[in-house]
Amino acid sequence: MLFNLKKNAAEVISRIEAEALLRERFRLERFHDLQWEAISAVLKGERVLLIEKTGFGKSLCFQFPALLFDGLTVIFSPLIALMRDQVGKLRELGIAAKCINSNQSPEENLCIIQEAKEGLLKILYIAPERQENSLWLEEVRSMRLSMVVVDEAHCISVWGHDFRPAYRRIVNLVNLLPKGLPVLATTATATKQVEQDIAAQITGKIRVLRGNLLRDNFKLYVIPVGSDDEKLIWLGQNVPKLKGTGVIYTGTVMDTEVISRWFQKLQIPARAYNGRLDPETRIAVEKGLLKNAWKCVVSTNALGMGIDKPDIRFIIHTQFPQSPVHYYQEIGRAGRDGQETVIILLYNPADRELPEAFIEGAKPSAYKYEKVIEALKQDLLDEKELMQAANLRQTQFRVIKADLIELGIIREVTIGKSAKYEFVARSKPFDPKVFEAVKAAKTRDLDAMIEYAECTESRMRFLCNFLGDPTNKDYQNCDNTGLPKHRVTLTPEWIELLEEFHASYFPDLETEHRGTRLVKGVAASFYGVSQVGSAIHRSKYENGGDFPDWLIRLLLKAYRKRYASEQFDLILYIPPTVSGDLVRHLAEKVSTILKIPVLHILAKSRHTLEQKTFENSYLKSGNIAGAFILADTDFVRDKKILLIDDIFDSGATILEAGKYLTESGAAMIAPLVLAKTVGGDRL
Amino acid sequence: MLKNAAHWITLAHLPRWNHQKINYLVKSIYADQKSDLEEFFSLQPTEWQDLYQLDENDILALSEARSQIPNNAFLAETLYNQGFELIPIIAPQYSPTLKENLKLTYSPPLLYVKGNQELLVEDSIAVVGSRNASDISLKFTDNIAKAATENYQVVVSGFAKGIDKAALDSSLKYIGHSIIVLPQGVLTFGSGYKTYYKQIIDGDVLVLSTFHPKLPWKVELAMARNPIIYGLARHIYVAESSDSGGTWSGVKDGLRKGREIFVRKPEPGENNANEQLISLGARPVDLQGVLLEVDETAFPPASSTTELEEKIRSLLAEKPLSAKDICALLELDWTARRMSDYLKGLQGIKTVKSGRLNKYVSQDAVDEQETIDL
Repeated sequence: MLFNLKKNAAEVISRIEAEALLRERFRLERFHDLQWEAISAVLKGERVLLIEKTGFGKSLCFQFPALLFDGLTVIFSPLIALMRDQVGKLRELGIAAKCINSNQSPEENLCIIQEAKEGLLKILYIAPERQENSLWLEEVRSMRLSMVVVDEAHCISVWGHDFRPAYRRIVNLVNLLPKGLPVLATTATATKQVEQDIAAQITGKIRVLRGNLLRDNFKLYVIPVGSDDEKLIWLGQNVPKLKGTGVIYTGTVMDTEVISRWFQKLQIPARAYNGRLDPETRIAVEKGLLKNAWKCVVSTNALGMGIDKPDIRFIIHTQFPQSPVHYYQEIGRAGRDGQETVIILLYNPADRELPEAFIEGAKPSAYKYEKVIEALKQDLLDEKELMQAANLRQTQFRVIKADLIELGIIREVTIGKSAKYEFVARSKPFDPKVFEAVKAAKTRDLDAMIEYAECTESRMRFLCNFLGDPTNKDYQNCDNTGLPKHRVTLTPEWIELLEEFHASYFPDLETEHRGTRLVKGVAASFYGVSQVGSAIHRSKYENGGDFPDWLIRLLLKAYRKRYASEQFDLILYIPPTVSGDLVRHLAEKVSTILKIPVLHILAKSRHTLEQKTFENSYLKSGNIAGAFILADTDFVRDKKILLIDDIFDSGATILEAGKYLTESGAAMIAPLVLAKTVGGDRL
Repeated sequence: MLKNAAHWITLAHLPRWNHQKINYLVKSIYADQKSDLEEFFSLQPTEWQDLYQLDENDILALSEARSQIPNNAFLAETLYNQGFELIPIIAPQYSPTLKENLKLTYSPPLLYVKGNQELLVEDSIAVVGSRNASDISLKFTDNIAKAATENYQVVVSGFAKGIDKAALDSSLKYIGHSIIVLPQGVLTFGSGYKTYYKQIIDGDVLVLSTFHPKLPWKVELAMARNPIIYGLARHIYVAESSDSGGTWSGVKDGLRKGREIFVRKPEPGENNANEQLISLGARPVDLQGVLLEVDETAFPPASSTTELEEKIRSLLAEKPLSAKDICALLELDWTARRMSDYLKGLQGIKTVKSGRLNKYVSQDAVDEQETIDL
């Protein structure tokens, strides 16, 4: 018995009839055999796991049946960009599809939920995290459901390259759904192990359909480089020569900024994209990419999964990903139109450090897990209370939280309207050994990625084998199988250009804050770049004396670039916690050169601890809250103030000082610091 | 996770189906057909009719319910994620005391719980009584709860004001085991879970509800919860009862079903109906809960009606009889019509069709026969 199916569609509709409908509604000629196999299984109410490469048309395997069902098809999809994109396409075809996501206003989401309840929608995309939203859970119970789709199903498995804790609840849900309600799980990248894990987690019979992974329109290159500077030079020399529009994948958010600024200098049209951008900017970049507005987008792996752009002509990695699966997934976003597409990896063996740190640092130390458990054995706590009780950084806390939930030691519950965490009575004690097998598997995958870069055989075959696709074909599409080898050529002109760039690039500080007179600040450098971090560290913690003059010159350059048109009345600086008079001397030197008076009137009203000892912003804010005091507020009233500090980390100190100075009547507060940290910098 | 949790939720809250009707269906599915809910709900309506003799209205209701199963899967997932467990009547974890006391007729088909499920199989007591209890009743309640704790008995409480809450508080105070029977759905207990957080995770408290998880507190639910409290408790103590209201009707109902119920012997001058309950067959206990000798001669002789009632009940406990049969067996000079009217006035007597003839049988006898050990 099928749930809410108009009639037993599988028996009623033949492939010929279905393809007629396909032409009419989707303007597509015919199904691939595997598509039809998936669709007819779904129409029979089966559970299906479909593993097919990007661009194959997996979405059609649920979009088409959704039309035949009486009720609603709910699609769990982790990527807002993908949802938006697919919804747009479906609506162009006149199919009632919408998505609920966190970038839309609550009112907008509510409206869509209402439409779904009234049966006005055929297809509804939601993020897996929505399963944690009580309003959604309340409302979904009055929707008429016909099918559930789990997109990017590899996120179910810890053995996959992108395990997501929110999928645990999706698996539970699927396992509670009645037999006969079709469930389709799709992924482009699942190794045999991941496939088996997914099939094991979803109870009941599941039909696995696997396609082949070969992309023969790809031209695969690996270009050896010796440093980050060599990467920048290679990119500067070669990106303009590549055909069409492409994507450059970096390992860090900082690199997206650095490379796009470098391109700006070279007048190569490009935009940076990363998870830290606000939603409007992200949407604007996605749209620009679709319209080929720039030569390339420089992005972390936040971009692309599911962006349906058929003609991405090149993908360049400046940092190799954690595994061949990640790599295949990321390059899979290119060349969906089947046209020739260039895939390049800029390979520096030393880059192993970054993914290795990810693997190593993926798990906080065991005692931090214990602290969370102990706190919850005493009381029911919310996230903020728990982070405070255990002194954890938010990123760390989230990892611990997800792991402990996964292990069944704690759980997230809703009390009234707020989310709290509770200890699971009589759960097994925490044993950090459970992570070792996953860690070992990840290290093997990283080794395999390096093997890909260093191998001398066909690169495509290497990837297909790794991903469990046994196709045995004669591949001729890489620099090991007939295509030319490339190297980076360093010339004095390019080296000079790059030095100029390094000396003129100043990171922004997003310090504007509502209700304060703080403006956007500027740093002389990123903490992690070149010698800056180590120079600051020497001065602050190794008795290295005042900050070196070259650093002050860099700071003044940053000042001139950002604040050239401003007239400041005075300079203030953040009073120290431990590093003595370093910042005072810095402010005095800047004052002398800029001829702006420095006042030593900003003080702390109480003892504070070093901000770096606090792992999260709640504790940092708590440490500094209300801590500032001015000898005399008359000095700052209606004044434009340049506010100097050494390191900008969470921004909590600058914000607190900015608030206090605003209250004291300052007209403008402009932050100027030596270095900005990027998440994860060790100070 | 309970297999078919969504199916159980769907069945347990079928509109206009009482527990008895649901339990009978469960019994035929599991005991007679050796099937399960998943299979049952995948049958065609004609099969429902053939295999389960369901009528048109039932089939309509079940078809309607079936389309709700996917939605209830979402609810079930929420419940499990929030740490609740679902215990259907066929599960070994289901309270045997509850099954024994309420039989197939009144046992709730599905329990929603959070906390230490093992408390459901432990020996248990409940102290019941007025919402506006006197000091002496509160003292009695504290004594009983303390003694229960010392005897490793679970205190069953309905989370109502007065005696009920006092029993829970005392049990917690003496670090005993308690079951809180909610007059609402488990998802609307909100801050209650925060209040009893430590006890729940330490395994001292089980929160239980038989209602739809989303239902908020209502008077009707509070009334409907009372039999569950009586059902979950192996021993019932009455601290204080007036001659009407929940405690009064609950105790009378219990006595009629043959439960042993202990009532605090009131002090002279107390204004309550405790004595009346004792005279109806409840057993008097002192302030410590110790059974008092009952002076049989103190009771007035049983009235002839009650004697007649007892005789009829014992007859009907054996097998179903028609009104005429009863008159004949008791050598009564009554018309059959007068007897059937009289029988209709008695609680716990059930009418069964036997051809064109109405026969009568004791409900307890029916329950006895149909208590299933699933």
